[in-house]
Amino acid sequence: MSSREEILKALQGVQMPAKAYPGTFTSQVHGEDTLADFLHSMQVVSTTVLQVQDASEAQPLLDEHFPKLQRVRLEKLSDGLSLAHVDVLEITGDFGVAENGAIWLDDAILPHRVAPFICQHLVIYLSKKNLLPTMQEAYIRLGNQLTGFGVFLSGPSKTADIEQSLVIGAHGARSLVVVLTES
Amino acid sequence: MLSHAEASEKFIANQERTDWHDDTLWFVRAKRDKASKLIPEWEALREHASQIKEHMLSNLPQYLLEFEVNAQANGIQVHWAKDAHEHNEIVYSIIQKHGDKALVKSKSMLTEECHLNAFLEQKGIDVVDTDLGERIVQFRNEVPSHIVLPAIHLKKEDVGETFHQHLGTPKGNKDPQFLTEAARIHLREKFLAAKVAITGVNFAVAETGEFVVCTNEGNADMGAHLSEVHIACMGIEKIIPKRQDLGVFLRLLARSATGQLITTYSSHFAKPREGQEMHIVLVDNGRSRQLAREEFRNSLKCIRCAACFNTCPVYRRSGGHSYHQPVAGPIGSILAPNFDKKANVDLPFASTLCGSCSNVCPVKINIHEQLWFWRQDLMKEGLAPAGKVISMKLMAWVLSNPSLFKWAGAMGRKVISWAPWLVNNGLNPWYKQREMPEAPKQSFQEWYKSNRS
Repeated sequence: MSSREEILKALQGVQMPAKAYPGTFTSQVHGEDTLADFLHSMQVVSTTVLQVQDASEAQPLLDEHFPKLQRVRLEKLSDGLSLAHVDVLEITGDFGVAENGAIWLDDAILPHRVAPFICQHLVIYLSKKNLLPTMQEAYIRLGNQLTGFGVFLSGPSKTADIEQSLVIGAHGARSLVVVLTES
Repeated sequence: MLSHAEASEKFIANQERTDWHDDTLWFVRAKRDKASKLIPEWEALREHASQIKEHMLSNLPQYLLEFEVNAQANGIQVHWAKDAHEHNEIVYSIIQKHGDKALVKSKSMLTEECHLNAFLEQKGIDVVDTDLGERIVQFRNEVPSHIVLPAIHLKKEDVGETFHQHLGTPKGNKDPQFLTEAARIHLREKFLAAKVAITGVNFAVAETGEFVVCTNEGNADMGAHLSEVHIACMGIEKIIPKRQDLGVFLRLLARSATGQLITTYSSHFAKPREGQEMHIVLVDNGRSRQLAREEFRNSLKCIRCAACFNTCPVYRRSGGHSYHQPVAGPIGSILAPNFDKKANVDLPFASTLCGSCSNVCPVKINIHEQLWFWRQDLMKEGLAPAGKVISMKLMAWVLSNPSLFKWAGAMGRKVISWAPWLVNNGLNPWYKQREMPEAPKQSFQEWYKSNRS
């Protein structure tokens, strides 16, 4: 008997009462102002937000924010290692979640899966129209579509593994700027 | 091996450090309280999460099969391991096929449970733990003392000295920012070179065949997305039925663990990258046995947030290593006897049964009750130390005999007031770190008789 069969047999042999699936959790309580909640969450996760009319309006602000670093936007590529020297990567996020500042990125958007992790700094463009109150709405929006890889990203990488001192910039991006556009 | 009480005695020898450990974990617990209160429907979420997990456990074989079919359809290779040894052999055989001698690994308590690192190192594989806390303890030849904060037993001076020895940072430099940067540079080299990456799994979704890995550092993703082979290792109880369930669990996990709103990265792996191999190893290692133990079944609902560690008055003052198990704290104490009752007989007794663990558990495991159930089970099997058995029997005899109880009480009061040295000495464990109380002049019964009759 294979281990697979052995495990399944052992599990099937356990007598226990059936427990019903509790169904979909519907969020009853929302913040009143999704934008305000999102901005608050961004602050909690040490993220800079630029509120602008459109992407072009953000350019001088980004020039000022990253005075010496080159910003790039990339097409699809297969070699993740080539991204090791990217200083500032610009991408467009699918949607954001107000309660925790998480922004959804997936294979449909990313030039390479490692892109938002390996770059030194990350800029995400996000439309104000694509803000959702909680994770419950986020998964309704996602449905069961699979692109292969997707990530909820909330803020720059961080660690507190040394004496609980918060340090921003562990292995992933050292900083995150979210450009919040009207359209 | 030292028992929990013996190891704790060593830990608390340094009072300043013990207090620091206690305060730091309590601070994390307080952050958890604050973050949980930001969600008005927190209690409803906990209840929902608990019900999803109970449903999953009552249908585990079906969900495992559903996951297998969907993961395979996504192009993931699925392996089954009945125990730790088989898990290690499977991982090794995959590595061997690719002929690599080094790999990067992000945090996985399952691989700690299976002692994968030691197994692979014996085979000549260089395993690099990439979580900062795990890398620190790996350098020191230690094991994590906490499942979320692996190096919480160390001070920055310790880390500075370790990094000085292993990474050549200047002696005496203990600045967390500087040390983290040194680790970033050191580990980036490892990420860029590694062909094989191992990660753990926080949740695996039966409906979609995908699995989710949560980190703050981004180390799991750096490893997995740059590797040619990604091996994810999970206990079979990490299955959840539907993708929408992730909404419930991701709202609970980080808030319960560290008081964060969510982990920085919640990564959903469904299909291998083009040209990449993706493997998942489903491990039983005693879980089917625990499922069959009715009283302890619910321990398998655990999502490894460690909220029960941070709140536990015993864990905070005894440190993770005193539990001599990869998963310490209250949850570890109810999981460990399932692996080996005799070796872990001390752990269910390492608790005050205050119940705080059950109150903070995001999936509502009745941890403190299970600790008590294990105590009964272990005593019945005759595994408790002889001293405990005799004293419990003596106690039961005295308590069931009113006149004897009265006499024993009177004797106790006399001894404490006339010959305090008989109890105030090192042979009495209750005298350690504390003064014995002053004896009252009379018992409550005597007082009642003279005042109310």
